[in-house]
Amino acid sequence: MFAKIVGFELRYQLKNPVFWVGVILFFLLTFGLTTSDQISIGSNANVHVNSPFAMAQAELAFSLFFMFVSTAFVANVVVRDDETGYGPIIRATQVRKFDYLFGRFIGAFIAVAVAFLAVPLATFVGTLMPWVDPDKLGAFRLGDYFYTYCVIALPGLFLTSAGFFALATATRSMMGTYVGLVAILVTYTIVTTLASKPEYMTAMAYLDPMGFGAVDLVTRYWTVAEKNTLLMPVLGPILWNRALWFTAACILLAVAYVSFQFETRGKKARKKDALAAGAPAPDPRPTVFARAVPRFDAAAARAQLQARTRLDMAQVFKSPAFFVLLFLGLFNAGGGMWFTDGGYGVDIYPVSRRMIDVLRGAFAFIPVIVAIYYAGELVWRERDRGTEEIIDAAPVPDWVFVAPKILAIALVFVALLLVSIVAAVLVQLIKGYSNLELGKYLWWYLTPLTVSLTLFAALAVFVQSLVPHKFLGWGVMVIYIVAQIIAVSYGFEHGLYRFGGGGLIGPIAPLSDMNGQGREGEAGWWFRAYWAAIALVLAVLTYALWRRGKETRLTPRLRRLPRRLIGPAGVILALGVVATAGLGGFIFLNTNVWNVYHTDKDDDRWAADYEKALLRYQTLPQPKITDVTLNVALYPDYPRAVVSGVYVIQNKTNAPIRELHVRFDHYLKVVGLSVEGAWAKQTFERFNYRIFAFDTPMAPGEKRRLSFQTVLSQKGFTNSRNMTHIVHNGTFVNDMEITPLLGMDQTMLLTDRSKRRKYGLKPAELRMPKLEDDSARQFNLMRKDSDWVNSDITVSTAADQTPMAPGYKTSDVTAGGRRTARFVTDAPINHFFSIQSARYAIRHELYKGVDLSVLYHPGHPWNVDRMLAALRAGLDYDQANFSPYQFHQARILEFPAFQGSFAQSFANTIPYSEDIGFIYDSRDASKIDMVTYVTAHELGHQWWAHQVIGARMQGVTMLDETLAQYSALMAMEKLYGRDQIRKFLKYELDSYLRSRGGEAIEEEPLDRVEDQAYIHYRKGSLVMYRLKDVIGEDKVNAALRALLRQYAFKGAPYPKSTDLVTLFRQEAGPDPIKQQLITDLFEKITLYDLRTTRAVSKKRADGRYDVTLTVSAKKHYADGKGRETDAAMNEPVDIGLFAQEPGKKNFTAKDVILLQRMPIKSGVSTFTFTTDRAPSFAGVDPYNTMIDRNSDENLTRVGG
Amino acid sequence: MLQIDELTHVYANGVKALDNVTLAIPKGMFGLLGPNGAGKSSLMRCIATLQAPSEGQIHFDDIDVVKTPETLRRILGYLPQDFGVYPRISAYDMLDHMAILKGLSEPRARKAEVERLLEQTNLYSVRKKALAGFSGGMRQRFGIAQALLGDPRLIIVDEPTAGLDPEERNRFLNLLSEIGENVVVILSTHIVEDVTDLCPAMAILAGGRIVKTGAPTALVRELDGKIWIKTVDKADLAELSKTHQVISTRLLGGRTLAHSLRHRPRRRLYAPSRRPGGRLFLHAPRLASRGLARCSPRSSALSCAIS
Repeated sequence: MFAKIVGFELRYQLKNPVFWVGVILFFLLTFGLTTSDQISIGSNANVHVNSPFAMAQAELAFSLFFMFVSTAFVANVVVRDDETGYGPIIRATQVRKFDYLFGRFIGAFIAVAVAFLAVPLATFVGTLMPWVDPDKLGAFRLGDYFYTYCVIALPGLFLTSAGFFALATATRSMMGTYVGLVAILVTYTIVTTLASKPEYMTAMAYLDPMGFGAVDLVTRYWTVAEKNTLLMPVLGPILWNRALWFTAACILLAVAYVSFQFETRGKKARKKDALAAGAPAPDPRPTVFARAVPRFDAAAARAQLQARTRLDMAQVFKSPAFFVLLFLGLFNAGGGMWFTDGGYGVDIYPVSRRMIDVLRGAFAFIPVIVAIYYAGELVWRERDRGTEEIIDAAPVPDWVFVAPKILAIALVFVALLLVSIVAAVLVQLIKGYSNLELGKYLWWYLTPLTVSLTLFAALAVFVQSLVPHKFLGWGVMVIYIVAQIIAVSYGFEHGLYRFGGGGLIGPIAPLSDMNGQGREGEAGWWFRAYWAAIALVLAVLTYALWRRGKETRLTPRLRRLPRRLIGPAGVILALGVVATAGLGGFIFLNTNVWNVYHTDKDDDRWAADYEKALLRYQTLPQPKITDVTLNVALYPDYPRAVVSGVYVIQNKTNAPIRELHVRFDHYLKVVGLSVEGAWAKQTFERFNYRIFAFDTPMAPGEKRRLSFQTVLSQKGFTNSRNMTHIVHNGTFVNDMEITPLLGMDQTMLLTDRSKRRKYGLKPAELRMPKLEDDSARQFNLMRKDSDWVNSDITVSTAADQTPMAPGYKTSDVTAGGRRTARFVTDAPINHFFSIQSARYAIRHELYKGVDLSVLYHPGHPWNVDRMLAALRAGLDYDQANFSPYQFHQARILEFPAFQGSFAQSFANTIPYSEDIGFIYDSRDASKIDMVTYVTAHELGHQWWAHQVIGARMQGVTMLDETLAQYSALMAMEKLYGRDQIRKFLKYELDSYLRSRGGEAIEEEPLDRVEDQAYIHYRKGSLVMYRLKDVIGEDKVNAALRALLRQYAFKGAPYPKSTDLVTLFRQEAGPDPIKQQLITDLFEKITLYDLRTTRAVSKKRADGRYDVTLTVSAKKHYADGKGRETDAAMNEPVDIGLFAQEPGKKNFTAKDVILLQRMPIKSGVSTFTFTTDRAPSFAGVDPYNTMIDRNSDENLTRVGG
Repeated sequence: MLQIDELTHVYANGVKALDNVTLAIPKGMFGLLGPNGAGKSSLMRCIATLQAPSEGQIHFDDIDVVKTPETLRRILGYLPQDFGVYPRISAYDMLDHMAILKGLSEPRARKAEVERLLEQTNLYSVRKKALAGFSGGMRQRFGIAQALLGDPRLIIVDEPTAGLDPEERNRFLNLLSEIGENVVVILSTHIVEDVTDLCPAMAILAGGRIVKTGAPTALVRELDGKIWIKTVDKADLAELSKTHQVISTRLLGGRTLAHSLRHRPRRRLYAPSRRPGGRLFLHAPRLASRGLARCSPRSSALSCAIS
């Protein structure tokens, strides 16, 4: 009996559309995840997509989302009989409650498990796809699939199935169960997010019912190699987690069993029924009017259209699958909108732009699924329901059947998108943000997406009208989506043949509060218009091929197609074709005639050919630039930059130079170029690369002039990659994009390893010169062709914008509709210029002789004062401890978010993205003040990059980024005290340890860092802070002053990291412990393992306390691949006794009972202190200044 | 009136459902009699514009049905043999929806018309109930309500009484009889009584051909005195079959009641059914029930059911 019920239930569920929607959706998601770089879970750049780790991550995430599907299965088990009224019949049979309930549950759960097989299956199918980079794939191991599916996915699925089964038995309602599901998910997400702090990690490993915590605990610091090969060990947290929650699932099932009433429902329902029956039926007989006469005019057609549309929409709105999809989308997007985390636990103002960004990425795929699914349901409904004969015999023109299908889906889109907007606005309001900017939701989100999605719906309806069965139609659409993903990787990018003109949801314009949707937004509408014309053609064809009556075969319908196009349909079709041709021609004119059409693939091939043709010149001695005069005329609305300039170049080598190699950015138009005393010997047109031969070779020390005119412009719009650096409002051009470079170097080359291999480039990795290669000291990090230069930059722009470039502003004139400003330097600066122009609000402040200013978008005033304060704090610290600030101006300029989420430091000029800093919500004083941190960091670069710059070789970023981190940390410490820094460092530690697991090539010690962000920023902060702690702030600063004295503003040879390490060693003195520490911090990859195993306090007779701590300590050195060797530890480490737990909210300086630096050696040591107060917490390195993978074991609660 | 000329329809699988059918259907109730598989529904669908015939013409007054189906649909009321309903929709809403499709766009007049028809079909009290929960009779009545929407001049009802109990069937036939005499009503059925009760004129369709047209009473009279009846033991039936042309049998009190033609007819009345083991038999009108026996595909002649 039991087995029969299970079998019946399973067969029943397999016929349920939700099953197929779930399978399709999760297959597609996983397939996309496996085969496309655009879809990802977490950031596992170098981890194989079919590695156990990646599959576990994917299956964890998908099993969470799968709840929406599995709930539909298991809740259906309970709710179905009540809904169909079949319950009493079933319950009158001999079936036992146990068989009935659990037989069905097991059947439904098997269906869940089978449906979820779509995930591993899609991973497997994905790995077979030819376009997937082989670098991303590991060997096929069936065991990995089996393990992740059984150990990672199934227990979670079982728990959620059981849980929602119990919930459904309690609520007896599908909707109630879904509401509960959303509530539980929201709670789960909030709790796990709040608990996603390092200190809760162990607890969450057991408590997280889905198993994320357990997997994370086990794998968080795994290296790439480990992630690619190791299976998560079952023994340990994963097993305990699974056992705990399996038990919980069984309890939930028992609860469901007990709460399920096998007998007929309770009294409430009966009472209602009785009431209904008892009341006299109010049955007014219809009044007789004049008999209605059928009319077949426009009004009737309109009424029919409305009626059909209403009917079609109602079908969508009344179907459970719709709500499954809606909730899924809202949940997915809701998380993204709520947790707009700026890193380091920082809040971000939920500006509408970011909300829209999240919605486009995390919600908009739902309407796509709706379009595919309901196109099939609606087109085939009459046939599925058997109503086609009465409906089709009605005097209704075919277009009245066709149009509502598209129209209804379009209106469903509007409803869906509106719901998502309401969700976004709710998030904004709950977070206390009221500048809703509903217009942006309308014009940036609702309108373009509705139109694009409707075009997609027209395609889906057309496909359904062709195919002989709706499943086939769905299949075709799925293949189409996959093809969309593939096409791009094969270089098929043109919007003229990619349906809709872009991705699945149409062209996506980069958003900015400063620049709106920009040119991409305008281009998007041209593509939408073009595809609307095609969609119109498809709609007419759908009409002409419409199945009416009994004829459903395609060929007869095709045969009668021409006849059906006689009349208005044909006219519309012709109009559509003409419009398609016209708009297509105009788009082609823009994308391929006025502008150069190029794909990612074209650009890759170009870069590979560039390298093959020209890299051989990289060692050729070239002159260096000493003076730069630039005149940049910006036309933001065109967009165009007309540039003319002069370089003074000097032969700084010891030998005459016969040839000058001049190169320009790939797509930059060179209008004029002349080199004093030289002629153009050879031109590589394709590479924008020219070789000049000097009539008389440049003698050592000789100076000559090079003058150039270039134009950077775009006419109309391009297919994609519309110009984003010159825009209506918020232009930000780097000088290298508009001016020549001298000589060949490694910029503009392919860096991606798999691409390099694909194009046969050697070596496989472009790496920096080794630390030992002193010839590299001739060139600095910024440019190979310049040392320090004098600059004179004139920027002109539209009259209502503020032009800006590095240097002192010496003039600023507005005349003839143009505003022109000139920027000159009084001393040489780095050859590294930003040209900016926008409509800014400006805040000025004169501080100790320095003119501080922030130029910002008027809508983003929140952190301007904080930035000025950070500039002041930074100036104070850096000037007092390092050297005077070299300028008397310092300015911060906002630039649009789509140009990047970063801030960058040019001489006295700091462009700062709209996406960070400006929209951080700094009101919560307990959180890390990232605005100040970023600002102080960038100001620090005025010393660490703009006074002293390292040679471009290993370790160079230690001299700018690490030191800028140090400047920022110290400025922050002065403002907020050590506690903020500790909080900050905890994030830095976790980020460093996690990122080193993602290293693809080789982790380097800090002094050999090769532009590895997790080392020069994250580890850099930890190293500098520990160094300062151990050898003292004054000593560190003295070494930095010495570095500045030796190298500031000096040309080649440039300093390298070891120069600074040497200075630290000198300042630290001969103490071998300190010297060893410097070795460990800078020259080795050092990891500690410190833990407090026991802490006991005993009250003494005199009222004081004896506290005894047992501490175990280990030190390891790791090599570049993560292999570790034990090292002898002998160094001073803080030991602390506290009344409150450090790092917690209520912890203050008063809670520190004792903090003492004690020498700690490898192994177990015991310490005893006598204190006045009884400590509650005690530990070693309590503030986590050391790089320790189990930093939460440093502290322990003190026992009695 | 409806004029059908040389209508032939061949399905994609090669089955010839209609074979050169020519028929003139006058105003008033017209019965189209024939067993299952005779091509009734194919003919109905061709007239109802749901499928274009392979060959032939259909004219209704001056409307060329094949060429301009949309014109015919404006005056057509059609109740298919079997129809489904949309889920989660009430009788009123569905009828209202159909009314809009039938061109009743003026809301007040439409409401009146919908209510009138619900009243007429005795569905008014259940108008708010979901159609999906209707019984067969209620559903058929709903079907006729929607077919009557918009005062059609051509009404086609295909096997409307199949599966109805006698009470429902009566109710349904009464409904049909109320339809005005100025319209063409085609009642397709396999039940002789439906036709004889209602229709002044009829045609018999079998194997895709029209085998007989005329008034039902006249057609029945043709058989007067030609059918004999005998009660035999089941075992003796085989013997009887050798000497007589047994056209139908039924059980009566445990013995077999056999009907046979007295004379071998001059021509076969009916083409043999394509179904294995099945043959069609016409009963003597005065004897037992007047009906056209129907053999299910699996049944032998012995167990033929008599309607």
